[in-house]
Amino acid sequence: MELQAIYDTLTAAKVAGLLGCDEPRPSNKKEKDPGRSGLPFLMVDPAEIVPLLTACRDMPLLQFDLLIDLSAADPAADGEDLWVLIQLLSLKHRHRLAIKACLPKSALIMSSATAVYRAANWHERECSEMFGITFEGHPDPRKILLPDDWDGYPLRKDYEFPTEYHGISCE
Amino acid sequence: MKGHEPSYSMEERRTLPSGEEEFFFDVKTSDLEVNMGPQHPATHGVMRVLIRCDGELVTGAQAHLGYLHRCAEKIGENVEWLQYLPYTDRYDYLAAMNNNLGYSMAVEALMPGFEVPRRAVMLRTICVELNRIASHLVAYGTYGLDIGAITPFLYAFREREWIQALFEKICGARLTYSYIRIGGVFNDAPPGWLTEVGHFCDVFEEKWKEYRDLLALNHIFIKRTANVGVIPKDMAIDFGLTGPMLRGSGVDFDLRRDIPYMAYGEAHEAGAFDVPVGEGEKGELGDCWDRFSVRVQEMMESIKLVRWCLEMIEDGPIIGDVPKVLKVPPGEAYVGIENPRGELGHYVHSDGGKIAVRCRVRGPSFTNLAVIEELMVGTLLADSVAIIGSTDIVVGETDR
Amino acid sequence: MIQEQAQQALSHSVHPGSNVFVRILEWLPLPEWVPGWVIILGGVVMGMSIFLAVMSLIVMFCVWLERKVSGHIQCRTGPMYAGGWHGWAQSIADGVKLLLKEDTIPKDADRALFWIAPAIVLGSIFGAMVAMPLSYDWWFGRMDLGVFAILALSSTTTIGVVMAGWASNSKWSLYGAMREAAQVVAYEIPLGLALLAPLFVLGTFSLNEASAMQSGWFGMKWAIFTNPFLVPAFLIYWIAALAETKRAPFDLPEAESELVAGFLTEYSGIRWSFFFFEEYAAMLLMSVLAAFFWFGGFESPLTGALRASGVEETSLLFSVVCFGTVMIKGFVGIFLMMWLRWTLPRVRIDQVMTMGYKYLTPLALFCVLGAACWEALQHLIFS
Repeated sequence: MELQAIYDTLTAAKVAGLLGCDEPRPSNKKEKDPGRSGLPFLMVDPAEIVPLLTACRDMPLLQFDLLIDLSAADPAADGEDLWVLIQLLSLKHRHRLAIKACLPKSALIMSSATAVYRAANWHERECSEMFGITFEGHPDPRKILLPDDWDGYPLRKDYEFPTEYHGISCE
Repeated sequence: MKGHEPSYSMEERRTLPSGEEEFFFDVKTSDLEVNMGPQHPATHGVMRVLIRCDGELVTGAQAHLGYLHRCAEKIGENVEWLQYLPYTDRYDYLAAMNNNLGYSMAVEALMPGFEVPRRAVMLRTICVELNRIASHLVAYGTYGLDIGAITPFLYAFREREWIQALFEKICGARLTYSYIRIGGVFNDAPPGWLTEVGHFCDVFEEKWKEYRDLLALNHIFIKRTANVGVIPKDMAIDFGLTGPMLRGSGVDFDLRRDIPYMAYGEAHEAGAFDVPVGEGEKGELGDCWDRFSVRVQEMMESIKLVRWCLEMIEDGPIIGDVPKVLKVPPGEAYVGIENPRGELGHYVHSDGGKIAVRCRVRGPSFTNLAVIEELMVGTLLADSVAIIGSTDIVVGETDR
Repeated sequence: MIQEQAQQALSHSVHPGSNVFVRILEWLPLPEWVPGWVIILGGVVMGMSIFLAVMSLIVMFCVWLERKVSGHIQCRTGPMYAGGWHGWAQSIADGVKLLLKEDTIPKDADRALFWIAPAIVLGSIFGAMVAMPLSYDWWFGRMDLGVFAILALSSTTTIGVVMAGWASNSKWSLYGAMREAAQVVAYEIPLGLALLAPLFVLGTFSLNEASAMQSGWFGMKWAIFTNPFLVPAFLIYWIAALAETKRAPFDLPEAESELVAGFLTEYSGIRWSFFFFEEYAAMLLMSVLAAFFWFGGFESPLTGALRASGVEETSLLFSVVCFGTVMIKGFVGIFLMMWLRWTLPRVRIDQVMTMGYKYLTPLALFCVLGAACWEALQHLIFS
């Protein structure tokens, strides 16, 4: 199913938190629009992520039963938002869904998707140590790839590389 | 579909162990905490599993990752598009061709209207499938090692050696190829290479039967792996498993067939490959033996695919029109491909410059590994090794 | 005169032939005034040296053989360079390397036990080998209860292994030691019971006598051909022997993919090689024991032919043939053990226990009963 159809299905079911579709568009030199290439994303409200994912999983028309990936991106150092990116896959209908939720850097809190997909567990742990997002209701919010005493969130654009770690110079 | 509560529970799994029931009515003793790893033969690299044991019985397990974390995603944001390609070799170092392909396809998805030449597609498919065989051969051999059979490992490496020699001929490298480039492939097949690949397919088919009989159908091996580490279908889906782990649990899904990319759709229509699915032949559906068996059968399917490509390949350019210093149009894309271990996804975000804004890698080993913490509870120490082995992880990819 | 006394003191009065130690002393031209105890002591020391040297050579050959066998099973060649011809000197080179290696002891290890454990392991297995005759005429210590001595001393190695596992102060080592203890206890029973069956047939505990009992039919009256219950008894014995010697598929105490290296994890250098020695010595012992009680011991058509042509049993030629025969039989057994090791995956601890207690023990009992009944029947019919 194409993204627009998925969006329509979700809207018809009155699922909360839908903000629209982020579709690729060709560049327009007159309006100085560089365009956007790549693949479409479903824009959602991070506050409503759990009911939305539940709907995506349970609606027979969609049936996204696999959570493939949950990660984040920091599009710009001076930007106001972080993006939380979720990739879903339906085994039955053989379609994918890419979800993007903009989370303001001032309040990096959203509810955990582990209640819907247990696959989200480790992805959220990685996401929170790399970007500093707090996932409320996560069963095991430890760091996963980084050492427990690591400071800062390395994948953020404003991250400053440490000059030393436990007395070992990193320069 | 199911509710929030999973249909299997810890208690149930504890009372349905692979071993004998007597182990659960043993004399009560205090638990022993053992670090399996970071340097332990069963962890296939540098991973640490903290296990709590009651004698030989594992009562708790916790995986600790990050010993091989090399900041691949951060590096992706700091080097040019093409420069990042050699880094992709390093996450799943047993299937570097597949990683190259995943990254290249993600970047190509950002270039509107870009079409990879036909010959490049075929060469890519041949290399990727040969690499899948090589990777599964390692999985086959190391799983034998985990179970205690040493000889199959060396047999498997003999054929893998041949594949590596083939790769060396086409790209000069044996492990980290960087052969599949953005836009096509780096080098055309040298004269006689395709014939040798065909010869390899013929020889391998004979050897493959031997390998299957030697290990997969060995009585002790079946006793050790059947009914061990059972992942029911819904649990596999809930944990987001992909690849042979998912198919081992009886879910008939393969990205190559179901969300086709490159020439796989065409190949499947031509009947060039099937998707092996676990059937619970030797024990319960989704046990270690099923996962192992799926990998063994997949090798044969890859051989069929390579043969099909050898038939279909035609002369032509091997790389599209891609500049040396690549500037990718602004945009973002997530592309997932079927790696030997499952879905390898790349999310790339470009702002129109020479460097990616975000380069996210979704490694299949990382997600597949998450299941062991639950699976190992209630098994014996030897079973937990069998379970880790059956996930076929590459630590370079779990930690990236 | 004195030499005769010494011979009397050391050799057993019942049996012909004499101890190898005494044989050497007889050969030496010793003056009359040397006291008897010096001769005995000297004989013991020299005999021990020869014994250790011979056994070490055999074990080193086994190590080389294992590498070659595994190599050829795995489509490799094994060692090829050391010494020139097919790497024959590889074991010597390994031995030198192990001697020169740093001998580490973990910081919190129980040093005393850590030191003693390899000595116990090696001492007990060599002690057991003393009871093994080399031919009708050559032996180090002849015992009427040779089988008992071998079983008792060879299972003493377990104490050394458990000691090593405990002293290493490593959890993996402890696991290995506990597995060894459990496994050996479980398999001693079927091992001993399976051995009882040929003991019934042959009617003796002495290895020499057991061999002599099988000398009929031109050297082919092997016990296994005379009683059908000895075939399953041998299979049980063989499985139990694999478990006793910690060989694959029963190498759980070492289990390199599960327990790193089991009880050997913290050992290095020459101390580690002592355990290695023990393993191969035990393999030889178990194979030779099987040869003595099932496959004719020293007897083969060759010895039959020698006897028929009137060669004395005490002659050098006969002894050499006997020694060669038993060694060939032993090495066939060792080869079989190696073949199994490089072919089979490892079984799990609960499967090991289940097999030992639930299947092998009752089956071994059945074999003993069957063998005894068969013998009784034969007795009734033919006498």
